[in-house]
Amino acid sequence: MATRLTRKTIGAVCLGMSLLAAAPSVVAIGDVLETPARSTTLAAEYLLNDVATAGERIVAVGERGHIIYSDDDGKSWTQGQVPVSMTLTAISFPTATHGWAVGHSGVVLHSSDAGETWAVQMDGIEAAKLAIAAKEERITELEEELESAPEDQQEDLQWALDDVYFTLENMEADLDVGPVNPMLDVWFENENHGFVIGAYGMIFRTTDGGETWKDWSDQVDNSTGYHLNGISRITGGALVIVGESGLILVSTDNGDTWEKKESPYTGSFFGVIGTGNVNEMLAFGLRGNIFLSTDLGTNWTTVPNEAGSTLNGGAVAKDGRIILVGNGGAVLVSTDGGETFGSYFRRDREGLMTVVPVSQDRLVLLGESGVANADATGKNL
Amino acid sequence: MSNPKHDKGEHYITTPKAEPFLERLIFNNRAIILIAFLFLTLFLGYNAIKIQPDASFERMIPLEHPYIVNMLEHRNDLENLGNFVRIAVEVKEGDIFTKEYMETLKQITDEVFYLNGVDRSGLKSLWTSNVRWVEVTEQGFQGGTVIPDAYDGSRESLEQLRQNILRSSEVGRLVADNFQSTIVYAPLYESDPSTGKPLDYAAFSKQLEEKIRAKYEAQNDNIGIHIVGFAKKVGDLIEGIGAIAWFAGITILLTTILLFWYSRCVAGTLVPVFSSIVAVFWQLGALKLLGYGLDPYSVLVPFLVFAIGISHGVQVVNAMAIEAAKGFDPITAARLAFRALYIPGMLALISDAFGFLTLLFIEVDVIKDLAVAAGLGVAIVIVTNLVLHPLIMSYIGITKGGVRHVQNHGEKQDRKWRVMSYFAHPSVAPISLLIAVIGLGLGLYYKQGLKVGDLDQGAPELRADSRYNKDNAYIIDNYSTSADVLVVMVKTAPEQCTQYNVLRAMDRLQWELQNTPGVQSSVSLADVSKVVTKALNEGNWKWYEISRNQTIINASIRSAPSGLINTNCSLTPLLVFLEDHKAETLDAAVEQVEAFAEENNNDEYTFLLAAGNAGVEAATNEVISSAKNMMLMFVYGVVSLLCLITFRSIRAVICIVVPLGLTSILCEAIMSVSGIGIKVATLPVIALGVGIGVDYGIYIYSKLEHYLLEGKTLQEAYFETLRSTGKAVVFTGVTLGLGVVTWIFSPIKFQADMGFLLFFMFLWNMVGAIWLLPALARFLLRPDRMLAKARAK
Repeated sequence: MATRLTRKTIGAVCLGMSLLAAAPSVVAIGDVLETPARSTTLAAEYLLNDVATAGERIVAVGERGHIIYSDDDGKSWTQGQVPVSMTLTAISFPTATHGWAVGHSGVVLHSSDAGETWAVQMDGIEAAKLAIAAKEERITELEEELESAPEDQQEDLQWALDDVYFTLENMEADLDVGPVNPMLDVWFENENHGFVIGAYGMIFRTTDGGETWKDWSDQVDNSTGYHLNGISRITGGALVIVGESGLILVSTDNGDTWEKKESPYTGSFFGVIGTGNVNEMLAFGLRGNIFLSTDLGTNWTTVPNEAGSTLNGGAVAKDGRIILVGNGGAVLVSTDGGETFGSYFRRDREGLMTVVPVSQDRLVLLGESGVANADATGKNL
Repeated sequence: MSNPKHDKGEHYITTPKAEPFLERLIFNNRAIILIAFLFLTLFLGYNAIKIQPDASFERMIPLEHPYIVNMLEHRNDLENLGNFVRIAVEVKEGDIFTKEYMETLKQITDEVFYLNGVDRSGLKSLWTSNVRWVEVTEQGFQGGTVIPDAYDGSRESLEQLRQNILRSSEVGRLVADNFQSTIVYAPLYESDPSTGKPLDYAAFSKQLEEKIRAKYEAQNDNIGIHIVGFAKKVGDLIEGIGAIAWFAGITILLTTILLFWYSRCVAGTLVPVFSSIVAVFWQLGALKLLGYGLDPYSVLVPFLVFAIGISHGVQVVNAMAIEAAKGFDPITAARLAFRALYIPGMLALISDAFGFLTLLFIEVDVIKDLAVAAGLGVAIVIVTNLVLHPLIMSYIGITKGGVRHVQNHGEKQDRKWRVMSYFAHPSVAPISLLIAVIGLGLGLYYKQGLKVGDLDQGAPELRADSRYNKDNAYIIDNYSTSADVLVVMVKTAPEQCTQYNVLRAMDRLQWELQNTPGVQSSVSLADVSKVVTKALNEGNWKWYEISRNQTIINASIRSAPSGLINTNCSLTPLLVFLEDHKAETLDAAVEQVEAFAEENNNDEYTFLLAAGNAGVEAATNEVISSAKNMMLMFVYGVVSLLCLITFRSIRAVICIVVPLGLTSILCEAIMSVSGIGIKVATLPVIALGVGIGVDYGIYIYSKLEHYLLEGKTLQEAYFETLRSTGKAVVFTGVTLGLGVVTWIFSPIKFQADMGFLLFFMFLWNMVGAIWLLPALARFLLRPDRMLAKARAK
């Protein structure tokens, strides 16, 4: 904490020098969806949840609508123009210029200038309406099916129908409150095709660069509405989603259909990444649990490690190293395709959300208190 | 009654035409008056002894200021926020993970638990069961006390303790970042729940010193104790006031020695000292009767009263010795001294009193009290030292030694005065003026850096190197904490303080503040809600946000610290931690909050300033900056007007007031250079300094005018002035300086600041009167015209 305060102090002093005799800022509070993120020099010192690379540029998202980018491997950061100010949770840059970011209030943001300016493509109200429409459609379908179904299938159908009704009611109640649920991850294949996923099983797909979105929850076996926490493409082309209560979903047809895999774990996964080898992936989550699958998620083996606390994110370096980071300042590095991990715990013990391996001997760590530039093990430079 | 000297040059100031009525009244009824004085002294002295120290901190803050009005209005809702002590138990060599350390910590925790005034349910240390670690698991939360259940002091259990601490988020709060100390946190009751009596801070602070610090530091060399908290600070302040008794003793002793050296007459020494002490008793007794107590500011007034009493007493002794040297008997000498002095003396004292009364413009009770106490004191000095003193002397008379001293000394002194009379010489005066102008320029230049408020780290009331501030610095260095807290009160309808919109607004203001220079961090319900919402979602940082769902908000703040919500949830504080309490830091934060409140306050919520020590300081600074110029205007206005009425000449006023103005500016420059801000304690200094400093000018000018009207040239008249009154003026300056100089050693910082500045003001005003006044007179006065005018009358 002391280091954090010191860093903030330095930040404040620098700001103080640049803003000497500055008049107080006058800000009118509006909804977070309508209030732009405040221009600040502090964004790189506060919570950052996710990161993406747009060509050579690193772009990160965090609390209060912060989107910042760095063109010098994380040494200095510039704040992008963002029209909203809620906590942003994830970002994806399929190309060097086009990127998407998602966050609370169900917001989906788009940038076509490598992260410098952003615009809202969808918010939680629209998302909820899409989801509700999809459920209503599903109800009509099920009711038709029920009418024509043979007797022995009717009970199951009735159950399914009740489930959907229940979900629909919840969604409508939530919508009465507002855009309550957050998007939790985003993945884009290219400047047209992508998925956003989120709380209570939200999943939407676009094929026109986010101009229109489709509710994709019917293609996913998640009737209990578990949170969908992470989505990745692994080497070989398969897409994987992980979520609450050990949920693992795999798609081998670029997202059209999803297969639920038998899970090795009942706790939550917070992320999944490919190891760099074809059809191999690592899923990770609560209490330092890491599982490795080499066969598209059919079989899983536990990867022993010393993390002990939740692992939040990871990355594969160009040289094949796999780095996972998590709470308690845990930085785990594997040099054998994810079979074993060495660990380092940073002195400040602050939570890490994600990592960018910018070179062989340098990591950019992002998390609870912003950006930290570290050596290859995670130690502060 | 004939006095050949006075018959010649009669003048309304020094010798009224008719034998003054007052003189007859007093000197024809000496016995009756003395007896009346005796009874009055007994009565007031009895009351003076009963006067109580009154360290009420409400009196030190500007009660009329809207911030303070808000704070006091919501005092009950904020009660538990600030009143606690933190005791850091430090291990000097090694770290806290030893059996020995943990045992000591356990004993200290137990000891604190049983201290009177401690809210035991809120007591926190590594050893209390409310300090826990928590971890998210697949099944929900898992946790326990940081001290492992099976703790036995073994290496394994200490390692387990280390792990638990790391998981507990107490590093930086209860455990130092360097693992060399931990904190015992003790919230306090404002008043004893069983008796309802307010907490006795002095006694509580003493208990901490005896039962914790002294005991455990003595027990083990390797243990250091650091204690901070409001109660401790107040305790130390009250302890500091005690030092005043020593200062009083030293001041009286020094003054007596100086007075004897000056007069070489036992009576001429003891009688003024006695009269001045009588004045102090009268002043204290009168204060008591008026219902005042002694606070850390007004406790200084008796010193001023004493010093002023002595300085006027000296004039009486001086005048009597001169008359006695001419061969008059004691009663005649006393009458002549009285006749010569009562008008300039009264004038000087009245101008002192008016100078003090200008302090009434400052809306801070302690300053108003100070004004009343000092004004009253000076009024009393008029009676004791201009009436009682000559009356007593009229019975005793100046001793032969004293008279001889005046006669012998006269010749030697004359040479010195002769040299100094050149200050009025036509070729010296311009040089003096040039120097004054340079001094003025330098003063104005350095004065630009003058700041409002307290500038040093830590508790501003105490010295930077005081035990309290060292402890404070230790805790600030090793823990994530700031001693300067601004509290913004967020007011809502009952049961509405946790609404989404309210939390959002607070969160937004916090972010604006975080982006304001000088703000270190901030805390409110919004943070609690975000952190707990995150925790409820398996500790996932992606959920670190205020939920729009009120049910989730309510769940998230269920276990919020009680200080963050008042009983009916209509008020929730937003705590802003500042890097220091410099005026610009406070201003920046306060302006930001005000701008935000003005833009956003609505039916749902109102952002109100301000509580917390920084809030109080911000309000005080505002009051002081706005009062400062008004006070200066009034004090100079009053002094100038009095001089104008007395001497009926604008030129005279300029001669007297310009040296004072120069001193005031130099004083501000000194404040600026030595890092003393304008604050409750230093604002009165200029009023006091000018009010008292004008005496020198009045004494010198009245004599100078007198001799000019006798037809002497300016330099000759000034020489005569110095001969007759120069010594007394110098002596007065020194006495007044002595009266306040002991404060410089006060453990209370603001008393030290006041002592230092007043010492400068008193001495330098004296220098200004002797050196600059004649130079100005050289340029401004027209002796021939003055003479012509006087003759025409």
